[in-house]
Amino acid sequence: MSVDIRLASSRPAGADLYHGDNPGNIVTPGDIITADTGFMRGHGTYMEDDCLHASVAGTVERVNKLISVKPLKTRYNGEIGDVVIGRIRELAQKRWKVETHSRMDSVLMLSSVNLPGGELRRRSEEDEKMMRHYLKEGDLISAEVQNVMSDGCLSLHTRSLKYGKLGQGCLVCVSPSLVLRRKTHFHNLPIGASIILGNNGYIWISPTAQDKSEESGGYETNLQPVPKSDREVIARLRNCVLALADCKMLLFDTCILYAYEASLKYAVKDLLKPEVAVEVVDLVRQRLELEGS
Amino acid sequence: MRETPLSNCEREFILKNISQQRRLDGRNAYDYRDLRIAFGVSLGCCHVELGKTRVLAQVSCEVGEPKQTRPHDGVLYVNVELSPMACPSFEQGRQSEEGIELSRLMERCLKESRCLDMESLCIVSGEKAWHVRVDIHVLNHEGNILDCASIAAISALAHFRRPDVSVNGEEITIHTLEERNPVPLSLHHMPLLVSFTFFSQGKYMLVDPSSKEEKVMEGKMVVGMNKHRELCTLQVTGQMLLLKDQVLRCSSIALTKVTKITELIHQALDNDKQARSKGEKHGFAVLVSGDKVTANRLPKIEVNVEKFEDSDEMDEGQSCSDDADAQNGIEELEMQTEAAPRESAVEILTKGVGVIGEGGASTWLDIPQENTKQQAAKKRRYKSVAMEEGIGS
Repeated sequence: MSVDIRLASSRPAGADLYHGDNPGNIVTPGDIITADTGFMRGHGTYMEDDCLHASVAGTVERVNKLISVKPLKTRYNGEIGDVVIGRIRELAQKRWKVETHSRMDSVLMLSSVNLPGGELRRRSEEDEKMMRHYLKEGDLISAEVQNVMSDGCLSLHTRSLKYGKLGQGCLVCVSPSLVLRRKTHFHNLPIGASIILGNNGYIWISPTAQDKSEESGGYETNLQPVPKSDREVIARLRNCVLALADCKMLLFDTCILYAYEASLKYAVKDLLKPEVAVEVVDLVRQRLELEGS
Repeated sequence: MRETPLSNCEREFILKNISQQRRLDGRNAYDYRDLRIAFGVSLGCCHVELGKTRVLAQVSCEVGEPKQTRPHDGVLYVNVELSPMACPSFEQGRQSEEGIELSRLMERCLKESRCLDMESLCIVSGEKAWHVRVDIHVLNHEGNILDCASIAAISALAHFRRPDVSVNGEEITIHTLEERNPVPLSLHHMPLLVSFTFFSQGKYMLVDPSSKEEKVMEGKMVVGMNKHRELCTLQVTGQMLLLKDQVLRCSSIALTKVTKITELIHQALDNDKQARSKGEKHGFAVLVSGDKVTANRLPKIEVNVEKFEDSDEMDEGQSCSDDADAQNGIEELEMQTEAAPRESAVEILTKGVGVIGEGGASTWLDIPQENTKQQAAKKRRYKSVAMEEGIGS
């Protein structure tokens, strides 16, 4: 077994990593956005000495008369229709409190889940007492945002069969700004793994479910042992996702697949080394540029 | 903002390792993390680091009225401040349950143990007495705030000097710091709190839990003791039952820890007193020296390389020599310089042995042929024996 030691100064600097277009309007906290008083101030700004300042680090966005700063690193702000992955934190009356890396815990109402035995059943006292049998503290679920309440708290639902409790797999946490809103967030990759890209930055990698005929409402988790080849694929995917996130690349299924293919010539654990990660991401970037142009 | 909860895998991993007598940072079950005590320039200011947990305690005093029920005693206030600076889950202003528990335990430790002589704080019986206030600010929370806070509070109380008071019949003069030297508080003894955390229904016990271990613990016991074997505080929280001999065993462990820590406190106080009397630089600024290349470096971490197989990789050689240096007490190689000799292949025969020559024929004296052959054979035999020992150990 070998121990790797490397110089801190030889780490690739942040400036070398960014290859995209210059957005031009990045501000840092305290920067003056405008001295014009005709604008309304939105999120991420504050007024001082008749000047509009930015209070977070991000890009300036202007909609007619409203100026706001969209932060680069932030907690997840939910929109209706987003797919999120969360962890059950606690049980409350007729609801579960779910942790989704947002400012407040999200809420999963008992009436928003699929109970076994059909959809149109009324929720009774018995169901409330059996809540812990369906989902208990520490469980991971995939859900969709149904509603955003006035204080910013999200209300989730798992009313479709593709949502529900997550079984065996690997969770990767990245910044929410790296996951774009797309048509679908559930991808079955051809390499034998499925990936769920949650909008809140939580990414779930699991082996592809073999039979699609499971219609149990998403609460039965498949606890059969996962074969070693699948585990290796999942581990490699996880390292690829982390490498892409470190280099601040936007995550979607194509780039994750490209990263997987580019990483095949390294061992799985070598992908954790910074220089290998940078190389893999460079290859992905080049390939994406080729295909894009 | 609430903290991200620990995932099920992490929880099971930590518990499984504890059941096999292993901790995440490699400590033994009864080991404390590195303890560092520093005093500030102002009297009564003490900063304690226990691993990454940092607590600052400040003692101040003012003259006020004594309590109605105790006209001959001074008054001691103890306050623990948990701010979002320590941990994002602490809220500013509002006292959480954890904050209330900490405040209460610190109060009990300092007040009910009667470590501070309250009668000496009285100026005029029934009218004027000293109000001593200990403010404890938690700067960083990485587990076990309580022990850190108790060390900081006691050190600050021992470091503090109050203004001198002289009584002339009916006249009372409180001298300023310029007129007369301030007087130390009279501390009878130093009560310190030691935290024990329990796992698996009391089967496994750890001292000085880190923040991750605190999240998976089932129960906690806090023992307050001083080095004279006097028990000052005892509190058990959590969902578990303890046996009598467990409690006794914990108190004897607490005694050894408290004796060691009290020695450390006295040493730090002596160092500070000497630095002040000699007129040298003292205070927190001394700890942070910005003009050295090694500023902002991490503390030395010892890497256990005994179980690694002997291979031709020079990386192994690097880590071996690192270990050897640590053993010989030489200044450790900076992380920066270790990357330079990556290209050279260093073959270490046994751990901790610095081989000077590389074998081969001697170039100093004219030695007849047979002897050099014998020497070479001996050297080869030594090498092979050493290799075997290296692999076998």
